[in-house]
Amino acid sequence: MIEWSEQHQMIRDVVQRFIREEVVPHLEDLEHGDLPPYDILRKMFATFGMSELARQRFDRQVAKAEQAEAGEIPKEEARKREGDGTGDGAAMQLIPIIELCRYCPGMVTALGVSTGLTGAAVMGKGTVAQKKRWGLDLLTLDKIGAWAITEPGSGSDAFGGMKSSARREGDEFVLNGSKTFITNGPYADTIVFICKLDEPGVDSRDRKILHFVLEKGMPGLTQSKPMKKMGLHSSPTGELFLQDVRVGMDRLLGEEKALESKAGEGRQASKATFQMERSGVAAMALGIVERCLELSVKYAKERVQWDQPIGEYQLIQEKLARMEVARMNLQNLVFRTVELSAQGKSMSFGEASAMKLYAARAAVEVAMEAVQVYGGNGYMAEYHVEQLARDAKVLQIYAGTDEIQIRAIARDLLA
Amino acid sequence: MKIVVCLKQVPHSDARLDINGDGTWIQEDNLKFEINSYDTYALEEALRIKDAGEAEVVVVSIGPDRVTQALRTALGMGADRAVHVNDSAVEGSDALGIAKVLAAIVKAESPDLVVTGLMSDDGNFSAVPPMIAELCDMPSATSVLKVDGANGSLTVERELEGGAMEVVELPKPCLLAVQTGLNQVRYASLKGIMAAKKKPIDVKTAADLGVGDQVGAGAAKVRMEKVYQPPKGEGAELLEGSTDDVVGSLMNKVKELGLL
Repeated sequence: MIEWSEQHQMIRDVVQRFIREEVVPHLEDLEHGDLPPYDILRKMFATFGMSELARQRFDRQVAKAEQAEAGEIPKEEARKREGDGTGDGAAMQLIPIIELCRYCPGMVTALGVSTGLTGAAVMGKGTVAQKKRWGLDLLTLDKIGAWAITEPGSGSDAFGGMKSSARREGDEFVLNGSKTFITNGPYADTIVFICKLDEPGVDSRDRKILHFVLEKGMPGLTQSKPMKKMGLHSSPTGELFLQDVRVGMDRLLGEEKALESKAGEGRQASKATFQMERSGVAAMALGIVERCLELSVKYAKERVQWDQPIGEYQLIQEKLARMEVARMNLQNLVFRTVELSAQGKSMSFGEASAMKLYAARAAVEVAMEAVQVYGGNGYMAEYHVEQLARDAKVLQIYAGTDEIQIRAIARDLLA
Repeated sequence: MKIVVCLKQVPHSDARLDINGDGTWIQEDNLKFEINSYDTYALEEALRIKDAGEAEVVVVSIGPDRVTQALRTALGMGADRAVHVNDSAVEGSDALGIAKVLAAIVKAESPDLVVTGLMSDDGNFSAVPPMIAELCDMPSATSVLKVDGANGSLTVERELEGGAMEVVELPKPCLLAVQTGLNQVRYASLKGIMAAKKKPIDVKTAADLGVGDQVGAGAAKVRMEKVYQPPKGEGAELLEGSTDDVVGSLMNKVKELGLL
């Protein structure tokens, strides 16, 4: 794939129009007010028939999972990714990400965590009954999801330092713990809570990792108000507190089988989620970089100092040239993602990590340079590059920090 | 029922427009294009009639290869098929030349209704729609802001000067040139865009339509002489001081000029 197809370009145009008409007028409220992004995202899903596409995908996945449960096809067959030959499926998911990130990367985070992380966790780990109970509503955005892994004491060392626990009492589990930096945490209807099984005598690092599905309003579950943060204001982030939340086996993703798994399996399953998340970051970075470049070029042509546009100065030209190099690289990485998806393939973990590392750094460098091109104006909230620069920074922190990506790349190379 | 919708592809409203080398039009290379905004309302109105009952919507456009995208977008929104006049011989046509090409298609299709935008965002002539109606010998209404269908005829509301409205009834077949704002234009769904790939686009030349000798720069009675940026005016006076001072000075100026 070397460029967007005519259909892809049409999708870009129509999504751009939606953003111009439905997102941009609310940007101020999303960024500096208290407007959660969900109604606009739901409108986007309804407008473009994305809910219907999600429902069709869901039906196909469930049909396969049912066949696998009945022993009609091997389990691996049910999990296998199928290429559509065209990459249209991937393109239809990535294009809205790119376009939204040109204006509002926070909306993509809120959307991605709800459908991509939470929905995918239920669809990947749940039984057929669990997929039907929670999966569809998450994939169609009828319900907002949160995926709760990070804790006050555990970030990069997510599993090792994890204190959240599930204690078995007869047929029930008693869940305790606190989670932080949880995207959609304040408003989530459905929460995938990741914790360790209380296994007396087993070292904390070797305990089984379990995923439970919780719902808003359950006794013992508290969802905090949105936290104040540097950027990504349109993505509500919060804390979750669990105090003796009692749940049955029906809320443990995978049910009894999850308890039979070996200690490392839960971690492996989460890695698959990290990988998908890392691919999405390249598309996010592309949106930010495209917008920053576009604004910087425009400003370099218009802003006059010493009687000539600042674009005539080589120091500004160097910045623009570096931005263009980043844009081309990111564009090619996104095309590679689409191409792999067309063939039903995915990147290696090391490769996905390398892509995420590059994309995050490129987005931050470009956005900060865009502020520099704009000078004093760039530092003012009135000019959009200020918001994008604050938003971009999170790409180097969430979904695995730069340092964690470097470790994953090195491990892959040295294995 | 069959409805023909005429679409024009125009430079994108966000595009930076530069004048071309010989000063006769704008530089079109690397420019982004979109469907003329007035025409999107025309298409939407046709699609609403289709949604309300049985209708085939045929979209028609003239222009080079890039126009395919405008037609595909219309097909993605719900139009059934498209006719694309892709012929360099049509380049340089005046409004009458364009109207002759479109009228030839209308005659061939013999629809119950033709819907167009009131004018184009780039040319602003408003000339083509009434010309098509005249060439096809059908009644027309321009600046349409409301359409109601009834047996065999249409009742439409037209916008007049000063906010007044006029209600007219037209027998079918007829042509409506619509004003912006008469409806809320839909978005093409992702599924619609993908389905548009399979919908037919019939590519034609002016000769195919039997108007080969009536179009192009040679046949045009109106020729674009010059396109230019008006020179910047002089004599602007900037009022300075506090808000009260500025308002005071402005009021004095207005009185001095006898505008109040």
